[in-house]
Amino acid sequence: MTTDTAKPTWRRYLWWNTDHKVIGVQYIVTSFIFFLLAGALAMLIRAELASPGPDFLSGEAYNQTMTNHGSMMLFLWILPVLAGFGNYLVPLMIGARDMAFPRLNALSFWLIPPAGLLMLASLFVGGADAGWTAYVPLSISGPPGQTLWALSVIILGTSSILGAINFITTTITMRAPGMTIWRLPLFVWGMLATSVLVLSATPVLATGLILVALDRTVGTHFFAVGSGGDPVLWQNLFWFYSHPAVYIMVLPAMGIISEVFPVFSRKPIFGYRMIALSSMAIAVLGLTVWAHHMFTSGMDPRLRVPYMVSSMVIAVPTGVKIFSWLATIWYGKLRLNAPMLFALGFISMFLIGGLTGIFLASIPVDLHVHDSYFVVAHLHFVLFGGSVSAVFAGLYYWFPKITGRMYDERVARFQFAVYFIGANLAYLPLFLAGLQGMPRRVADYAEMFTSVNQLSTIGSMILGFAVLPFLYNAIVSMARGPKADANPWNARTLEWKTSSPPPTHNFEQIPVVTEEPYAYGEDAAAGGPSPSPAAG
Amino acid sequence: MSEHTLSHTDEFKAGRALGLDHRKLGMWLFIASEVMFFGGLIATFLHYKYQLGFPEIASLDVFQVGLNTLILLTSSLTVVEALSAIRHGRGGRMAIFLLLTILLGVAFLSGQAYEFYKLYEEGITLTSGVFGSAFFTLTGFHGLHVLIGVVWAIVVLARGLRGAYTAEQNMGVEVFGLYWHFVDIVWIILFTIIYLIP
Amino acid sequence: MQEPATPSTKRSPRYAAIFLVLIALTLIELWVATAGLAGGWLSLILLSLAFGKAALVAAYYMHLHGDSRLYTTIFVLPVLLLVVFVLLSVVI
Repeated sequence: MTTDTAKPTWRRYLWWNTDHKVIGVQYIVTSFIFFLLAGALAMLIRAELASPGPDFLSGEAYNQTMTNHGSMMLFLWILPVLAGFGNYLVPLMIGARDMAFPRLNALSFWLIPPAGLLMLASLFVGGADAGWTAYVPLSISGPPGQTLWALSVIILGTSSILGAINFITTTITMRAPGMTIWRLPLFVWGMLATSVLVLSATPVLATGLILVALDRTVGTHFFAVGSGGDPVLWQNLFWFYSHPAVYIMVLPAMGIISEVFPVFSRKPIFGYRMIALSSMAIAVLGLTVWAHHMFTSGMDPRLRVPYMVSSMVIAVPTGVKIFSWLATIWYGKLRLNAPMLFALGFISMFLIGGLTGIFLASIPVDLHVHDSYFVVAHLHFVLFGGSVSAVFAGLYYWFPKITGRMYDERVARFQFAVYFIGANLAYLPLFLAGLQGMPRRVADYAEMFTSVNQLSTIGSMILGFAVLPFLYNAIVSMARGPKADANPWNARTLEWKTSSPPPTHNFEQIPVVTEEPYAYGEDAAAGGPSPSPAAG
Repeated sequence: MSEHTLSHTDEFKAGRALGLDHRKLGMWLFIASEVMFFGGLIATFLHYKYQLGFPEIASLDVFQVGLNTLILLTSSLTVVEALSAIRHGRGGRMAIFLLLTILLGVAFLSGQAYEFYKLYEEGITLTSGVFGSAFFTLTGFHGLHVLIGVVWAIVVLARGLRGAYTAEQNMGVEVFGLYWHFVDIVWIILFTIIYLIP
Repeated sequence: MQEPATPSTKRSPRYAAIFLVLIALTLIELWVATAGLAGGWLSLILLSLAFGKAALVAAYYMHLHGDSRLYTTIFVLPVLLLVVFVLLSVVI
């Protein structure tokens, strides 16, 4: 399995490797590169929007920039980076030596770089410009890049389906002795719920994109307006995936948060089973609410109210999680390290995103703010304020485990401050713009929106700057940071019971699990030893 | 390295306690995703069928395709008999049934090719209209799955002839069988939806 | 030794019996579809026959009958989801 042990360590990361930890790092680093690219596109967009009227991007170029910003952020950053955490952590957390299908795992990763390059290449042949939603007939008549775009997303979808099969199989069949279902760390629960969603929803997106690609290349008539093609069909296929996709991108993030809070509050997580089950509830409900995206596309009005209700019901399990987290922090011995700061940032921003989501699910509001900047603001609070904050929390939290060295806490806290101010300044004004009726996806806007847009642009530049201290911290600490011991945070999940970084086979001896993962009692707060055999 | 591979096997202990084999579980999960993949295609076909009526359905040859359906059903029997044979340790009998499966799969594909050819003669093509697009995409993707199944059957047969499977170790045959039966099930549904329902 | 060799020691005759049932159901389908019957019931009958055949293959050829319930769950849930999805796609 590991033909690579003889090679120097760094070279393993550049080539085919079946070690889940190597693959996890490959995922995280690759997706971070795409995060930087997509972020650069975002700053380009905000720069264009700094003043009304087209400045340096033509309408066409603006649409291409916006489409690729969205697609790359979703498909090449959030999805793969969370899959990267899953790869690195799931086997360690359940006490396994690797994933169930190591070679399939490597394949899932190696599908991503070509798909990413395909998406980048599409920019040079006349980029996709139909938005990340690729609504037909716009995506049928668009420039040639749209075909490459569709292919790229199909490949990325395949990668995440294969990953989901691997995660579920691993979690079910490879747990260490004593790792019962109710002892799974909550991040593993999050990955499990996400994988269920990926398996059910992603194939439908693949279908839809195949139809688009066939229309564009072979000349089929699925969405050709002249011969009876129906745009509503595309919306149905697309949203069947893309509404769950929001949960696909949020559930593992919530899992990361559920790991961070108990460790940095020195308390057992409040309502473990409720959090675990709410992940599953979100997965199930998430599959039933897709059609609310078509409130404004002429769907049968009788279907609207049930969809509105189910879209609102999904807020309940999310609320369960948020209150459980708050109860976990309550009266805890808080340690405000960077992971904890980002977790708190997650809660505050995700709450805004989640609550405005309920507004949008309500039909009268939706009919008013649909396709306005209100939607843009909502989406960024959920996915950036939510998922990306959680990713940073996770990156700091597991940095010592992955690299074997500690990061610089002061730089990390500084980065959080810049990040938090930048994100809120960038996205909050957009709610205002949306309520006043500024339409999204247009390079130009009326004079009245100038001041909110300028605020947002300043915020986005600050946010873009916030990535520099992170990169500096990561690179310098990786090379020269103080060595981390096996369990620097005094956490109790299994990944901390092996050395940092873990050996290729993860555990010298497969651990036997005898307790729940968040048993932080009085003795644990004092740093008492755990009853499970420690290794490494 | 050798120590590592050695310990690599006890990682399946927890799963074995449940009586689940990871390859079989993986296959079932893959099938679940395939259900949704065909779901998208079926939804597309039926959406247009009820919107446009699809008068072209009249030119489909139900009996020729019915014969094809029987061929695919028979191939499911041969696959399950192949598995049953190797479970009794009868490798030769398994090989014969796998060979029959391959022949039946090829027969099905030939029947489909003939059907497509006839339709093209009548002017119903992939690009002739919404019906052609939906019909050829849906049945074509199923045919592609049969083709993959045939290739896989050849691989299983070759491995079987080299003695890779025994009465105890035959998960490779079983997992292939799951795939093949699933493709058969898809056809059972497609046959009704496309050819039979008015 | 991965496989608990419980299923099928004397199943072989049953496979043939299932096969005959499948063939018979297919012939019935063909007869029902071409006999010139009309009405909404026809689709329902044909769909029931098809799902019956599919269930037979899944239960006996794919050994869901007698295997871990987990496999049945993994297979049946997406099928239910698919039915809902397809119905909605037709209605919309």
